[in-house]
Amino acid sequence: MNLNTTYLGIPVKSPIIVGSCGLTSTAESIIELANNGAGAIVLKSIFEEEIILDFEKNVLPKVGPMDNDLEFFDYYDYQIKDEVLHKYQSLIADVKKSVDIPVIASINCISNGEWVSYAKKLEEAGADGLELNIFKLPFDIKKSSEEIEHSYIAIIERIIEKISIPLAVKISPYFTNLGEFVKRLSLSGVAGIVLFNRYYSIDFDINNEEVISGGVFSGDKDYEMPLRWISIMNQKSNCELIASTGVHTSDNVIKMLLAGAGSVQVVSALYKEGSSYLKKMNSGIKEWMSSKGYETIDSFKGNMSQTTADKPEIYERVQFMRYFSDHKH
Amino acid sequence: MSVNPDYLKEEREQEWRVVLRSQKKNKERTDLVRVHMTEVDPKIRVQSNIEVNQGLSEDDAVNEAQRCLDCPNPTCITGCPVEINIPKFIKNIERREFLEAAKVLKQTSTLPAVCGRVCPQEKQCEAQCFYTLKLKKEPVAIGYLERFAADYEQKSGKMAVPEVAPAKGIKIAIIGSGPAGLTFAGEMCKRGYDVWVFEALHEIGGVLKYGIPEFRLPNSIVDVEIDILKKMGVHFETNFVVGKTATIDDLKDEGFKGFFVGSGAGLPRFMNIPGENYIGILSSNEYLTRINLMDAANPNTDTPIISGKNVAVIGGGNTAMDSVRTAKRLGAERAMIIYRRSIEEMPARVEEIKHAQEEGIEFINLANPLEYYADEKGRVKQMKVQRMELGEPDSSGRRRPVPVEGSEYLIDVDTVVVSVGVSPNPLIPSSLPDLKMTRWQTIEVDDDKLQSSIPYIFAGGDIVRGGATVILAMGDGRKAAASMDNYIQNISK
Repeated sequence: MNLNTTYLGIPVKSPIIVGSCGLTSTAESIIELANNGAGAIVLKSIFEEEIILDFEKNVLPKVGPMDNDLEFFDYYDYQIKDEVLHKYQSLIADVKKSVDIPVIASINCISNGEWVSYAKKLEEAGADGLELNIFKLPFDIKKSSEEIEHSYIAIIERIIEKISIPLAVKISPYFTNLGEFVKRLSLSGVAGIVLFNRYYSIDFDINNEEVISGGVFSGDKDYEMPLRWISIMNQKSNCELIASTGVHTSDNVIKMLLAGAGSVQVVSALYKEGSSYLKKMNSGIKEWMSSKGYETIDSFKGNMSQTTADKPEIYERVQFMRYFSDHKH
Repeated sequence: MSVNPDYLKEEREQEWRVVLRSQKKNKERTDLVRVHMTEVDPKIRVQSNIEVNQGLSEDDAVNEAQRCLDCPNPTCITGCPVEINIPKFIKNIERREFLEAAKVLKQTSTLPAVCGRVCPQEKQCEAQCFYTLKLKKEPVAIGYLERFAADYEQKSGKMAVPEVAPAKGIKIAIIGSGPAGLTFAGEMCKRGYDVWVFEALHEIGGVLKYGIPEFRLPNSIVDVEIDILKKMGVHFETNFVVGKTATIDDLKDEGFKGFFVGSGAGLPRFMNIPGENYIGILSSNEYLTRINLMDAANPNTDTPIISGKNVAVIGGGNTAMDSVRTAKRLGAERAMIIYRRSIEEMPARVEEIKHAQEEGIEFINLANPLEYYADEKGRVKQMKVQRMELGEPDSSGRRRPVPVEGSEYLIDVDTVVVSVGVSPNPLIPSSLPDLKMTRWQTIEVDDDKLQSSIPYIFAGGDIVRGGATVILAMGDGRKAAASMDNYIQNISK
C-alpha cells in the first residue's frame, strides 16, 4: 500500500501538501515538513500588495518636502520587487538543495501588470510548479462579475505564456456561477485548481469600535464547502482539483479524495499541532485504506463524487429534503 | 548665518536698501509683469545642442529685480536649500551692482551659474515668494536672476579666485567631482588643506557633465568653475576609480587624512521586465554619458550610438526629459515619454516638460511598459504597454497608478531609454565592510556632520540622499567641509 498520487501532474508520495503559509517561508521549517511526510510544499507567497504597501509606507514618505528626491523614489517599487524576488529565488534554490519533494512557488497578485513576468524568474530559480493566488476581493463594486472572471483568465494566459512548469490557481468560492467558472479555468491550461483560499477576515472590537483581525485559522467544519464543490466538479474539470480550507484530520483528507480531489492543502492544523502531525495524518489515511482494502489512492479517489450521479443537482436536493424531514422540532 | 532674522533685518536696513525701496511704491512693483526669458525657437534648437534659455539682458534683469518687494520676512530664503540671501542679491541687481550680486550668491552657493539653470526654483524659492504665497501672482524670477548675476560675473572676466589659507600640509581626498565634491574641494582648499579630487571618468564635473545635456547646461559654464578651483590649488586626477585603481586604504597609506565621498548615484536601475536586455534598450545614464562625454552621436567615433527613429524613454523625471530631448536632437522622428502617472505627477521640472512639449516630444502618460519584443537579430522592435488609471492618492500625495486590465497595446520602437532612477554606485561601500549603508544603499551619515560610520569618511550628495538637486549636493559639500575641518583639528590636538 502507498499514498502515491500526483500534485499538478508531479508524482508525490503523499496527498498532503503544505499550503502557502509562514511555515513554508524558511528552508529550516520546510526541511522539517518534508521529513515529517509532506507530499509537497507551496512556498509562502510573494504578495504584490505587500510590496505596494512597503513602497507607500516606507519609501514615498522619504520624499523631501520640495520633492528633491522624487525622481530617486518614483519607481522604487521596482527595486523592492527585485529585492523580494531575489530573496525568494534564493529560498527556492536553498530548499531545492535540501529536500526531495516538489517545491511550488506562490504568487499572490492583484493585477496582471509586469508582475506576471516574475513567474519566469521563479521557474528559473528551480520551482517545480507555481501557484497563483489572485487576490481580487469580490467587494469591488465597480467591477462586474464578468470583468473579474475575465481578469483571472487574462492573468493565467499571460503566465502560461511565460512558463513551462505546471501552474495552479487558487480561488475563492465567491463567483456568480462557481461551477461554470471552475470549468472555464480548468480549460485555460492550468494544471490544478485549489478550492478554496481563505481571505483575511475582519472582526469588530465593539468596546473600542475598531476593526480588528478576524480568525486566522480555518475551523474544522470549514472543509464542507470545498468538499461539496470538489464533489460537484470532479470529472467536469480538465485539471486536478486540490482541496484547501478546513482540512484538519486524516478523515477530512479521505473525504476530499473520495470527492475527487487529487490532493489536499493543509495549513491551520499544522500551526495548531506542529509539523509531526503530518505523520499522524498520513498514518490515519493508511489505516483507513487498510481497513477498506484499498492499495492505492487511485482505487478510491472520486468514488463519492456527485458527478458519478446522472443528475447531481437532484442528488443534492434529495439530500437537502431528507435532512430537514429527519429534523423535527 | 543668512537666515538669522536679526542679521537679515540689519542687512535690510542698510542705507542703500532703504533708499532703493523708497524709489518705487510696492503697488508699482507688483504691477510689473514677470520677465520672459528668451528661448531659441524650438524648430531651430532641436537641430543642435544650442542652449535653449538665452538668459536675461541687463535691463530685463533690473526690471525683474524691481518686482522684488524686499520683504521684511523674506520667505523665499526658507525655500532655498542653502539659504541664499535672496533679497540682498536681487536688490544688488536692481541697483546694477551685478558683481556684488554674484558675490552674495557665492557666499552660500558654489555654482550659481549651474543652479540658476538646473534648480527647480518653482518648487523651492519661487514657491515661497510673497507673490506666490499671498498675491497669487507669478513669483519673482529668482532663478533667472541668479543665472543672470552668475553669468555676468563669468563673462566679466573678473571672477575672483577665493583666498586660500596658509597650507596646513594635510592631504584630503575627494571621491567624485560632481557638485558635492567640487564644493567640498573649494571649501577645504580655502581652509588650507591639500585637496585631491579623484574622478572615475575622463572629465571633471560628474553629473553636471555626463548627465545634463549641453542644451540645458553648457559644459563651458561648469569649466569656468573648475578652472577657479584649479587656480586655488585643487588637484584633479581623472580616470581614477577609487575602489579599483586604488582603495581608500591605499590612499590612506599614501597619507590622506580625510575622505569625502561624493560619488553620486551612477548605477542605473531597470524595471526587470521581459526583453529588457535586447539590443537598443539602454539606461539613460549610458545614453546620456555616451552622447555627452563620448561624442557617441558622431557616427565616426569608436562607440557610436544608433540614432533611433522611434525612441521611447521610460520615466518622468528630468533625466527622462534630458534623454528624450537628446533623442529628438539626434533625429528621432517619434521621441516619446512613457510615464505611468499623469503629466501633473511627473517629477521633472515644469520648464523641462514645457520645453519638451514645444520640441514635439510625444507624451504617452498613464502607460507602463510590460515587455519588449525583438527582431531576429535581437534588436528591440516593439514594446507592449499597459494603460494605467489613477487610483487613490498614495503617501506622497500623488495618485497611485493602477493598471487597466486588458488595455495592453504595442508601440513600434527601435531605441528604448530606461530612465526610472539610479542607485548609488556600490564600488566604495563594497570595498569598506565597516561602512554603514541604508536600505537604499546610500551611505548612512550623521545628519549634522555628514560623517559616516568610519570617522575619517564624510559623504554628501546623491550617495547620501539618493536623489538630490545640485544645490542640495553643494550644501552637503559645504557642511561636510566644516565638519571634517573640525574633526581633523580635534584629532590633531
